[in-house]
Amino acid sequence: MTIPEPLELDVRTPLARGEEPFSAIMAAVDSLLPGQPLRLITPFRPVPLFGVMANRGFGASDRLLQGGAWEVTFTPVVGAGPEAGLTPGSAAGAALWPDPARTLDLTGLMPPEPMVRILETLEAMAAGEVLFALLDREPMFLFPELAMRHHEWAGNFAADGASYRLMVRRGDGGGRG
Amino acid sequence: MIGKQLSRWTMAWFAAALAFLLAALGLAVLGGAGPGLWSSGPGLAVLHLFALGWLCQMMLGSLIQFTPVLAARPLALARLALPALLACSLGTLMLAGGFLALDGWEPGFALLAAAPLPLALAFGLALAMVGATLLAVRGWRQDAGRAVLAALLALAALWVSGAGMALALSGSDTGMVLLPEGMPLHVLLGVGGWLTLSAIGVSYQLFPMFLLAPDRGSRLRDAGFACALLALALVLAGLAALLLGGGTARLLPLAVLASVAAVALYLAEARRMWQARRRPQPELNMQWSRAALGFLGLSALLGGPALWHGGAWAEAAVFAALVGWLSTLTLAQMVKIASFLTWIQVFSPLIGRRPVPMVHELTDARAAGRWLALWVAAAAGGTAALLAGFAPGFRLAALGLLLAALGLCREVVLIRRLRHLAADRRPALLPPIILPPSPRRPDHDHPRTAGA
Repeated sequence: MTIPEPLELDVRTPLARGEEPFSAIMAAVDSLLPGQPLRLITPFRPVPLFGVMANRGFGASDRLLQGGAWEVTFTPVVGAGPEAGLTPGSAAGAALWPDPARTLDLTGLMPPEPMVRILETLEAMAAGEVLFALLDREPMFLFPELAMRHHEWAGNFAADGASYRLMVRRGDGGGRG
Repeated sequence: MIGKQLSRWTMAWFAAALAFLLAALGLAVLGGAGPGLWSSGPGLAVLHLFALGWLCQMMLGSLIQFTPVLAARPLALARLALPALLACSLGTLMLAGGFLALDGWEPGFALLAAAPLPLALAFGLALAMVGATLLAVRGWRQDAGRAVLAALLALAALWVSGAGMALALSGSDTGMVLLPEGMPLHVLLGVGGWLTLSAIGVSYQLFPMFLLAPDRGSRLRDAGFACALLALALVLAGLAALLLGGGTARLLPLAVLASVAAVALYLAEARRMWQARRRPQPELNMQWSRAALGFLGLSALLGGPALWHGGAWAEAAVFAALVGWLSTLTLAQMVKIASFLTWIQVFSPLIGRRPVPMVHELTDARAAGRWLALWVAAAAGGTAALLAGFAPGFRLAALGLLLAALGLCREVVLIRRLRHLAADRRPALLPPIILPPSPRRPDHDHPRTAGA
């Protein structure tokens, strides 16, 4: 199988305009073909991204360009991606997380109540602790909020498709801003 | 991933659609439409401001918002949403203006001939976004995804039939074969294939969520979809037959029959979802969706007489479908979706950090319920007035619809401004009512160890 050409994203212009490039970068990651690397051009070395991308199964190699910009190539690591069947965006290492410190049964609740309960519970937990939640459906509006708060998560549907299982690991600092 | 579940231009699509709704109803109140007037220039203009400007734009905006949820992945080519909206609004205005040529307004002929171009662009862009997203996740394996994909096919055929007739009316030889036999096919494609099929697809996902009903398919659903596909195939065959110089005499009754069967099976499926609900007292949006489903049944009942007798029966059947079924459903869900999206935008960053209101606190359910009741009553009155050929009754109904629409527009603005919350529970900074919000920053940017 040939490896697709890297997708290139230059965030220097939006950054110069004062725009936040994170969402554009994540949108680019979501649009990658299987196996396709992402080549990112930034005005500085984007250290925070390395962790985020490692959790999504990407290795990073970076080099300084002439003029002071950085070129970082994120390449999907074979076998490092989340298990098959997990929702895209799930953290790769979830199998190694500690046992859940908190468990929530959120079935029978109307959206966005499950999201409220999960985020409120996470705020009261310690960094690194894991929350397990059982839901009726995939919490689509929760995932971006978890990412914004730097929590990691992994989720999938139960075999019968009738419930959704979600693990969330509390991020460090908790994003209290 | 951030914000990928919120389409940036959803509120703009809704606002444009509502503007067309108010324009169409205002012109109807002024006498631009009414019993027996639907093939006049102003009548066709009002009809298309309503069907294309209001319902079609509302549906496209909703699909752009809803498809990523359905597909569990971001919308493909999301940046095309704004150009699609602009092209669709422009095409609708050109088409509505163009119909005035039929009453002797000379510049209208050029507009009529050109209007299909921006509409082709708009529909093409929408197909690229929604269709590509659904195809990429093999959306035809899901009930909702396959209904939306079939609806998109109907949208393309709707454009072909509409563009052909617009060209013929503008004086070109192209499309002449579609007049007048293509008209019922065009109506079936627009009202049934495109708008109803996509509304049904979306309802498979939304109804169980709002009713807390089990979210799974059934044989009833499969049989209903099979009938809908058959109806769509028969209409497409009819369109092809006309374009090749044949007739539709035998295909059209079969298509209507299959459509009526599909509606009956869908209504039985909706009843099954309603009875399986775990929420004893459903919210406003679902209560008024029941009225919409009643109108769907009514328009199916009128379908047979509409086919045999045409005239007032056909006008009433199409009115019951566009105003009673599709618009009531859209307006009832719009109130819910506007408060849900506003809540997500404003309050999701605050959860766990300060008390947040419940979603339903953003809406004044009693006020919204009163406007929806007026809408439904006026829709019933308008259907009856068309059946009876009673023009003053129709104008009164149009006035009722206009007042209800204005009331619901006001309610959406109040929701966007959080006016139903006490002042101390409103954040100081609210997102714009219509335009997209500025992107959020992640809470903190300090480095984390790779592979953690």
